[in-house]
Amino acid sequence: MAEKRYKKLKTAAELQQLMQWHYASARYLRLGRPLAWVTSGAPVEILRAMQIAVLYPENYTALCGARHLASSLCQVAEAHGYSQDLCSYARTDLGSAFDPAHAPMQGLPKPDLLIACNNICGTVVKWYEALAGYYHVPLFVLDTPFVHDQLQDSTLYYVVAQLEELIRFIERATGHRLDKARLSKIAHVSNETTRVWGEIRALCKARPSPLNAPDLFVNMAPIVVLRGANSALRFYRHLQAEVEQRVRLKVGAIPEEKHRLLWDNIAIWHHLYRFYNLFVDHGACFVVDTYTGGWAHAVPEGEPLPGIAQAYTSIFLNQSLQYRVEWMASLIREYGVDGFVMHCNRSCKPYSLGQYAVRRAVMERTGVPGLVIESDQCDARTYAEEPIRTRIQAFIETLEART
Amino acid sequence: MTVASRSSAAGRCYLGVDIGSLAVKAVLLDAEEHILSRAVAPAGYGGQEAAARLVAQVLSEAHAEKALARTVVTGYGRSLFRNADEEMSEISCHARGAFRVCPEVRTVIDIGGQDSKVIRVDARGRVMDFAMNDKCAAGTGRFLEVMAAALGVPVADFGALALQSQHPVAISSTCTVFAESEAISHMASGAERQDVAAGLHRAIASRILGLAAHVGLLAEVVVSGGVALNAGLVAALTELSGLHLTVPSDPQVVGALGAALFALHGGRR
Repeated sequence: MAEKRYKKLKTAAELQQLMQWHYASARYLRLGRPLAWVTSGAPVEILRAMQIAVLYPENYTALCGARHLASSLCQVAEAHGYSQDLCSYARTDLGSAFDPAHAPMQGLPKPDLLIACNNICGTVVKWYEALAGYYHVPLFVLDTPFVHDQLQDSTLYYVVAQLEELIRFIERATGHRLDKARLSKIAHVSNETTRVWGEIRALCKARPSPLNAPDLFVNMAPIVVLRGANSALRFYRHLQAEVEQRVRLKVGAIPEEKHRLLWDNIAIWHHLYRFYNLFVDHGACFVVDTYTGGWAHAVPEGEPLPGIAQAYTSIFLNQSLQYRVEWMASLIREYGVDGFVMHCNRSCKPYSLGQYAVRRAVMERTGVPGLVIESDQCDARTYAEEPIRTRIQAFIETLEART
Repeated sequence: MTVASRSSAAGRCYLGVDIGSLAVKAVLLDAEEHILSRAVAPAGYGGQEAAARLVAQVLSEAHAEKALARTVVTGYGRSLFRNADEEMSEISCHARGAFRVCPEVRTVIDIGGQDSKVIRVDARGRVMDFAMNDKCAAGTGRFLEVMAAALGVPVADFGALALQSQHPVAISSTCTVFAESEAISHMASGAERQDVAAGLHRAIASRILGLAAHVGLLAEVVVSGGVALNAGLVAALTELSGLHLTVPSDPQVVGALGAALFALHGGRR
């Protein structure tokens, strides 16, 4: 391909430095702070307020996927008896724990405690139990009941009570106390960061869109792993300025934007650019996605614990299919989307289950066609490019026949 | 579909080539959408050589070597084929071809060598939605080939054998590998060959109808692709769906016909 299909962001170097610092400081610069491994939906503001260093195996394993090392680490976990049907984040993480010599950065530094929140899936509970057994460290499971319709007060009380228990658990495990003023301050930074991230996403309503899905996926890392940290807020303000400039100058993320698409589900990390370039070849840009929107929900102002309980219980993966249909339909309207693509992700059951029902409902609601692509977030063994290429071509032909 | 008089190639000609995993197909049209010639051959290794020979054959049969105006290629070998003006997906081409042979069509079931697809089309023949099998031989021509071999029956006679069955066995697995071992265990326990054959045909039909459920199965339903020549499978699909199915007289070249129509009319019509 003669023409470069991606316009690299100027902030890319800053992002890389930020993430390198994140991983290096967790290993070398903890200054006596205990280390927690947490799930992507864990209430990290509390941990930060208690001076606990945090690492996210999900982010680390996505990185393994992008570096084409996840499948071999999955095989390590499979050799230890873990099923190939288990989430590839879990398999990659366990594989890197069992065989750190063959993992990026020699695996993650050993945790002192583990915190899993089941708002994203049930797998994390068993995955973290396996880690707790392997490392002999304490585990806290935060249970956020599924939101079938409206978030109930009883659910909120239940989650708040567990957050109080989580604080006592961390105090017992580490001797660190919660500083409530610090918690409020961190929740505020977290909200600011979330707001800026939401605004960056919203800038993609412009035509042409200043960002494509891989830009969003790569740039979401700090909102996940550094939420509540000033460094993340600073980075997103720089990114926002650059994206605003692209919009002002009408600079698109791809050379020629002919079709505007919505992406649903976790990224295909092992073929990130290669896969999305199959769309770029047809002038199709993903202007919005549901995945990185999962971290654009703020903690409500006021008392921190009820706000945190509400924010973490109502993330979209913990809500009904109806909610997801309505959310996707509204994104399709707001971003002027012509078609949507759903990644039927072998790893992520809660995200992928019900996808065909969501697809049908969104198509009926919006009149916009949807395509399902089968693959996996991390395990490249599931990726078959030729059938995928055919589906993409047929889908684009379908879009073009409508106009 | 009728083949027009072969001397009518004086005007411009339009070629559609469909390079599939098991067979290559070519259809040559005149400007009035009449079929000047058509041909089918085994794909062989990669399909490109077979496709080049087939193109030479259809052009020579119609004496149209100098009249070729435009070529559209489709099928798995499409991106490697050098002598086309445009490549299009099988989905669009099968829909276009099926709409030409049956304008009432709303659903196309195309069962090819390595994939099967169900396509919903609107009243103008445009693709509205589609579903394809993914990374799995169940519900494809390959499945039938493997099973025919397991039963020691030529694949061409496999469907007819299934039609003789009074008591089809139950094949629960749709995985080609597991279904083969299930078939073998039925044979080992003394089941009649035609009953095993019928069970296998029902398994593949149910798999295809499962795929169809993703896009909905609206009448008229046209079955295209080489597997449509298998009467046993069409009977199983009819029985399990309860719908009347239309099988074109030359189902194998529907995709190539669609490609030729795109060559003739251009654009995405």
